[in-house]
Amino acid sequence: MKTLQQVLEDWEAIIGLEVHTELTTLETKMFCGCRLSHDDEPNENVCPICLGLPGALPVPNEKAIESIVMAGLATNCQVMRRSMFYRKHYFYPDMAKNYQTTQGPIAFVMHGHLDLEVNGEGAQERPDATVKKASDGSYVAPIRILRIHMEEDAAKMNHLGGVEGRIGGASESLIDYNRCGTPLIELVTEPDLRTPEEARLFMEKLRQTFLTLGISDCSLEKGSMRCDGNISLRRRGETTFGTKTEMKNLNSFKSLHDALEYEIRRQAEVLEEGGVVYQETRHWEPSKRRTVVMRVKETNDDYRMYPDPDLAPFDLSDEFIERCRARVPELPDAKRDRYVRTFGLKRDHAARLAGDPAVARFFEETVADADEKLAGVVANVVLNIVPAHPGVDVHQARVISELLAADAVTFAQAHEVLEATAGTDVDPETYVDEHGMRQSTDADALGAIVDEVLARCASQVQQYRSGNKKVVGFLVGQCMKATGSAGNPKLFSQLLVQKLDG
Amino acid sequence: MGCFDALSARQIAAGIVAGDFSATEVARASLDAIAARDGQVQAFLQLSEDRALAAAAKTDAARAAGEVLPPLAGVPVAFKDNMNLMGTRTTCASRMLETYESAYTATCVQRMLDAGVTPMGKLNMDEFAFGSTTDSSAFHPTNNPWDTTRVPGGSSGGSAAAVASGEITIALGSDTGGSIRQPASLCGVVGMKPTYGMVSRFGVVAFGSSLDQVGPFGRHVEDVALALNALTAGGHDRFDSTSQDGEQDFLAHLNDSIEGRSVGVIPALFEAKGLAPEVRTALQRAADKLADAGANIIEVDLPNMASAIAAYYVIAPCEAFSNLARYDGVRYGYQEPGCSTLAEQSSLSRAHGFGAEAKRRQMLGAYLLSSGIYEKYYLAAQKVRTLITADYRRAFKQVDAILMPASPTPAWKHGAISDPAELYLADIYTISNNIAGNCGISVPVCLGAESGLPIGAQLQGPVFADAQLLTFARALERSCSMEGVVAPGFSGRGGEL
Repeated sequence: MKTLQQVLEDWEAIIGLEVHTELTTLETKMFCGCRLSHDDEPNENVCPICLGLPGALPVPNEKAIESIVMAGLATNCQVMRRSMFYRKHYFYPDMAKNYQTTQGPIAFVMHGHLDLEVNGEGAQERPDATVKKASDGSYVAPIRILRIHMEEDAAKMNHLGGVEGRIGGASESLIDYNRCGTPLIELVTEPDLRTPEEARLFMEKLRQTFLTLGISDCSLEKGSMRCDGNISLRRRGETTFGTKTEMKNLNSFKSLHDALEYEIRRQAEVLEEGGVVYQETRHWEPSKRRTVVMRVKETNDDYRMYPDPDLAPFDLSDEFIERCRARVPELPDAKRDRYVRTFGLKRDHAARLAGDPAVARFFEETVADADEKLAGVVANVVLNIVPAHPGVDVHQARVISELLAADAVTFAQAHEVLEATAGTDVDPETYVDEHGMRQSTDADALGAIVDEVLARCASQVQQYRSGNKKVVGFLVGQCMKATGSAGNPKLFSQLLVQKLDG
Repeated sequence: MGCFDALSARQIAAGIVAGDFSATEVARASLDAIAARDGQVQAFLQLSEDRALAAAAKTDAARAAGEVLPPLAGVPVAFKDNMNLMGTRTTCASRMLETYESAYTATCVQRMLDAGVTPMGKLNMDEFAFGSTTDSSAFHPTNNPWDTTRVPGGSSGGSAAAVASGEITIALGSDTGGSIRQPASLCGVVGMKPTYGMVSRFGVVAFGSSLDQVGPFGRHVEDVALALNALTAGGHDRFDSTSQDGEQDFLAHLNDSIEGRSVGVIPALFEAKGLAPEVRTALQRAADKLADAGANIIEVDLPNMASAIAAYYVIAPCEAFSNLARYDGVRYGYQEPGCSTLAEQSSLSRAHGFGAEAKRRQMLGAYLLSSGIYEKYYLAAQKVRTLITADYRRAFKQVDAILMPASPTPAWKHGAISDPAELYLADIYTISNNIAGNCGISVPVCLGAESGLPIGAQLQGPVFADAQLLTFARALERSCSMEGVVAPGFSGRGGEL
């Protein structure tokens, strides 16, 4: 098979995503008062309504509708004041009523967009001629969102004896209705994505946005956020769409990217050999790094959709919409820009901090009133040191940042200190002092040691002077050794270079 | 002191409060009457003797403790078998749910229990409420107490027959296209379909969700008003998002004069083909009596009413198909034994669990909702629905109520009408009311001059004017001589109090 880059020179990949997100942070299900928790014993959180017993009726969860409106506002969607629920019929035991309550042609929120900043290696997937790129190769891809609609999740089925837990060959099937009726929002993009990297970035940005809104735990592994990808190819310059396939089991950002990459290359090979792409659903097998056919769609399923007569049409009030708007917090892009503006952070550091609300909160508490220099160190500490030591609190992170900023400890020592103090109430500074780790920054004292080392290492000095600048590392090591690691390596390095060049 | 079937609900509750008799004695009298009469009537699917006696004993204990008794204390009541009552079977008269036991109680049933009634059991119906004869019950037909060779009407035929035969005092039924008003008319009792949304549907097995409404049967308009008080007590039911707050005292204006108010008649309906002459005569006499009571009789028109049946037989089957999809034998209900695949089990459970009419309606609905067909029929039917609703709104600007038959003929013989389409057409007078969501009531006005069978007059009123409709019904009842009548063959048989 050709590489992705080779294929995309000749072919345009048309990618659309459907993203299902469970509103896991709500307390109750979509249409009944059952507790929202999948971790309990099977079939513990059920009632006549979510079990679809005869005579039971649904009552919509207003908080779920707040969540979807917030999701819409955060993705630049238009709030559709008038919408309603529909019934979508299919016979399968994971849906107790044999129909799913979902929405019809008009969803709660529609016609939005997210703008992706594509940079680095990922930006190279898109051939230069097909998009306007900046001098560093980065570009902006605006991705339109068709709609986000509300629906209820199905029960979880466990097919005993089936291949990979699927129904084929199973001897028994167990149904757990705890998940049945979980509020689910489905986002459908327009087919605006052109590379696997763009798809991955879209999903990542969507996850960051929903996490920031606090409407879901957005776990791809646990399946509270699930993504299907639709993909077709067309020759560059064509305007009609080719036949699309639908990709399932994309339960990590890597799977999403790799499955789309594989599928683009597979379809290109089929088409270039004169073959036909069938409209089918394909399953990504991460271990074998390929997609396989799940089922072929010969006809469109007829779900017999019609408005649910048990649920009155909605007419969202201005007051309700404004209440939702007021609950939308600062979103990742705005937060990133503020970090750059206020703290002078590097853009990619700011973006990484802003992308995860828990990390952003920790950063803001740690950085407090720091100046630009300290803020940069704090950002580095929060992004690169703290995650390695679970249990580090804001105070510890702040103290270690200050020590680093003052060159009193090295990066390696910072790790060591936090490893020892994380989860305890020990102050890192106390630990540093008690363990004699403080780096000396007394230039005179360090200067004496430098002089002593230079005198001792004449051959290295010779090497340096004849152009081997790397030898400074060895000399710094000698200085550190001489002080029992109590000197600041950065200062040693500066002093050495000063004296060698001077 | 005589048979309990001569007493109204108010008299029974008052007698218990006064100590004339106990709730237990009333419950025993009702059980006794059921034992003596129901072999011929076959109104009951399930008799809950222990439950009834336990409830009656509780009422008696409350009285002994000096508590204020609720308004329907000790009144024998039974429920159509599509209403859930925890711990009883709720079969919908279907093989599909023959052994299904309710895991919760419907709001309407609970509200009646809260009003102090003694629950006697569950009543027969057409399977899943599909029909107008009660002959489609999977278990047995119900016989009209006025002539047991005839149908009681349907689908709430068991409810109408149990009240008409004096076995119980009040029954609940449900009305999707006339299923309360038509059997009330055929059995000579009062039957009311309240405004859509007035009574919670939670716990009532759905047939056509946008059309279904629960309502009471009684031998007195006052009993029906008392039942409606109980059904609306507590207002909006938070378990039914389509329910409204209809709580009020329906007795407050029950006996008001109707002088100066106006009643509409639709001349074309009196000339309609298929309307039995004795029904036409009875309705003309009813109009005269309302006029005698001071009402102005005014001619009105509902121009789109001719399309009501067509629209109904699109909307109702679509909703029925969807509502009955859940009966697949997986979790409860009839499960075909010996199947090797899920598809086989679902298909055969449904093939053998449902009767012919239930299957006919679901297949019709499945067809009408399929893509390409849906746009042509369902959406057209919804437009007709809008037009009919507008017709009524216009008419109710001119008049306070509209008078018309509830059924084109008195009760017919079992099996006399075998063509489903002919049966559907007999719903002509009741269906448009469900389509518009209005309130309607059937009041017995006389016995047919030819048949000697009871004939009811239907009054329809605007949405949420249920209290006013009851005032008209009471005025009509007062001017006729059918109030409190028990079918002659059964009156006084057993049930001695």
